[in-house]
Amino acid sequence: MRVRATIGAVVASGSILMIGWDIGLANMQAASTVDTSANSAGAATQAAAAAPATAPATDAASSGTSAAAAAAAPVPAGAADGTYNGSSVNTSYGSVQVAVVISGGKISDVKALKLTDQGGRSVSISAQAAPMLRDEVLSAQSAKVSSIGGATYTSSGYLKSLQAALDSANFTG
Amino acid sequence: MSQHNAAPQRLAPERPAVTHRKRMRRADLLVILSWASVAIVIALFLAEGSAPGFGDVASIFTSLGILAGLVGTNLILLMLVLAARVPVIDRTFGHDRAMAAHRKIGKPAFYLILTHAALLTIGYGIRTSSNPVTWVMDMLAINDIWLSVLALALLTVVIVTSLVAVRRRFAYEVWHLIHLLSYFAVLVAIPHQLSVGGLFADGTFQRYYWIALYVVVVALVIGYRFVEPVIVSVRHSLVVSRVEMVAPGVVSIIMKGRHIEELNAQGGQFFIWRFWTGTDWWHAHPLSMSAAPSKDTLRVTVRALGKGSRSLIDLPVGTRVWFEGPYGIFTQAARSSNRMLLVAAGIGVTPVRALIEQARVAPGEATVILRGPGDQPPYLWQEMLDVCTAKGAQVFLDEGPRPRHTESWQSADAVGKGFSLGAYSKHLLDTDLYVCGPSRWADLVIADARNHGIKEHQIHVERFDW
Repeated sequence: MRVRATIGAVVASGSILMIGWDIGLANMQAASTVDTSANSAGAATQAAAAAPATAPATDAASSGTSAAAAAAAPVPAGAADGTYNGSSVNTSYGSVQVAVVISGGKISDVKALKLTDQGGRSVSISAQAAPMLRDEVLSAQSAKVSSIGGATYTSSGYLKSLQAALDSANFTG
Repeated sequence: MSQHNAAPQRLAPERPAVTHRKRMRRADLLVILSWASVAIVIALFLAEGSAPGFGDVASIFTSLGILAGLVGTNLILLMLVLAARVPVIDRTFGHDRAMAAHRKIGKPAFYLILTHAALLTIGYGIRTSSNPVTWVMDMLAINDIWLSVLALALLTVVIVTSLVAVRRRFAYEVWHLIHLLSYFAVLVAIPHQLSVGGLFADGTFQRYYWIALYVVVVALVIGYRFVEPVIVSVRHSLVVSRVEMVAPGVVSIIMKGRHIEELNAQGGQFFIWRFWTGTDWWHAHPLSMSAAPSKDTLRVTVRALGKGSRSLIDLPVGTRVWFEGPYGIFTQAARSSNRMLLVAAGIGVTPVRALIEQARVAPGEATVILRGPGDQPPYLWQEMLDVCTAKGAQVFLDEGPRPRHTESWQSADAVGKGFSLGAYSKHLLDTDLYVCGPSRWADLVIADARNHGIKEHQIHVERFDW
């Protein structure tokens, strides 16, 4: 009887872990394709297809120089130069909004327009996390970077807003 | 007539084996479920795309730290469920085995939580600065972290007071009160899981799974530990109707109430009693029934051992009684075969006496061994003889002092004659062994049984100490 329980536990746990691992791997690949696909048109479209599924930000909410974005659309290399505002994302600690600066088809800067501001602690966490997120984004050239430990809300709001900005810029990597 | 009797007797042998198989199936399922719950929290973490991953040193520390916290928390919730006296767990494993599992998980869970705190402090710290002192300061500066530090402190108190050596220094009630802090530890740790823990971010699968897990555990604990005992106590409105002297320092307490049969209490089970006298109400007494319950009465027999039980000797008639239970599977429900061998020492005779009264055995299938010092007849001796006679069960008395040079559950006299459990039953391998008495003594009986090749599932124990 104990043997049956042990085998059952091993099989059940093993399958559950494998499913989790598999889904996680798929999610990670979706993220890393964006990181490394600057020169590959095929991978870029694949990443673009994956992006809406994982980034729930809406284009409708984003503002910016849409004329430039529309003009840039046919260019396969990506987005036109300019500054694009992301949507304002609500978190439990206040709303977060960022703007992205695209120059030469690359993310050259991310500006924090608004960070979580509810509660003194929250402000200092945001202040600490924002530069770290900016560095990660600039080096990855993507909004698909890991969040900063201890600043989960800021991170997720920051990255969602950024993704919206990138979408409005038609930036695909 | 003989034809008439033959049918139920032929059916009877099937029953213990069948109930045993069903119970084992349930046990296996619950064990698998417990392990799977650990796998699920790890899988949910791995499945999350925005998790820190394992890309660099800081991320490795952070990820492992989060995993340790998740698994540790899952184990603590499992411990709460094991201690919540959930009926299906009690009927499957019995209260004592569930509590043994609860104790076994305790230390690993605690170490995982400690690891969680340490790894995350390092993981977060590496990202921000190279000075370990600021790591801790930064950590404490994060929202709600001070609450999780408080939770860890409470958990430490609970675990340390539960170490065997430390636990003995406390009265049971004091220890139990401290132990209840673990509920606060679990609750106080929740805010940091919501605000700092990335896994509880809006809209993720983990969030809903963990919320559901917490809701289920809290509901089980509140329902079965607090609400249900109050409801049954009020409903059955038990009062002390008589206190009978059994022997010097030993009394039977007979309680009367309504609809007792609906409790479906089985001989061999125990209740946790609370007698509402001015001085004793805060003592919880775990006592086995010493007779099968009737339509409106329950009986316990208690030997005044501790400070608490001494006051039970002169319990006023009419005292209101609250209870939790019935609990335990030192009963028919645990049987796996047709024969029963019941071994009891001292006041341990009580559940055996109640169990044999309800036992479904044919004449000759049950054997009772009573062990005592021999200065007086065993407690409830006359009753025991009457019940065993009615069941056609054999009774053996092993009286006299313990052997001086060896450790044995038997008297010096019996050891000298070369007796062992095998001397009392020729079919030991096809017998359920029920042992009730002091812990050390019970262990000796079990050791003897194992020497004879008896299997674990045939052994049923009720220990008379905590």
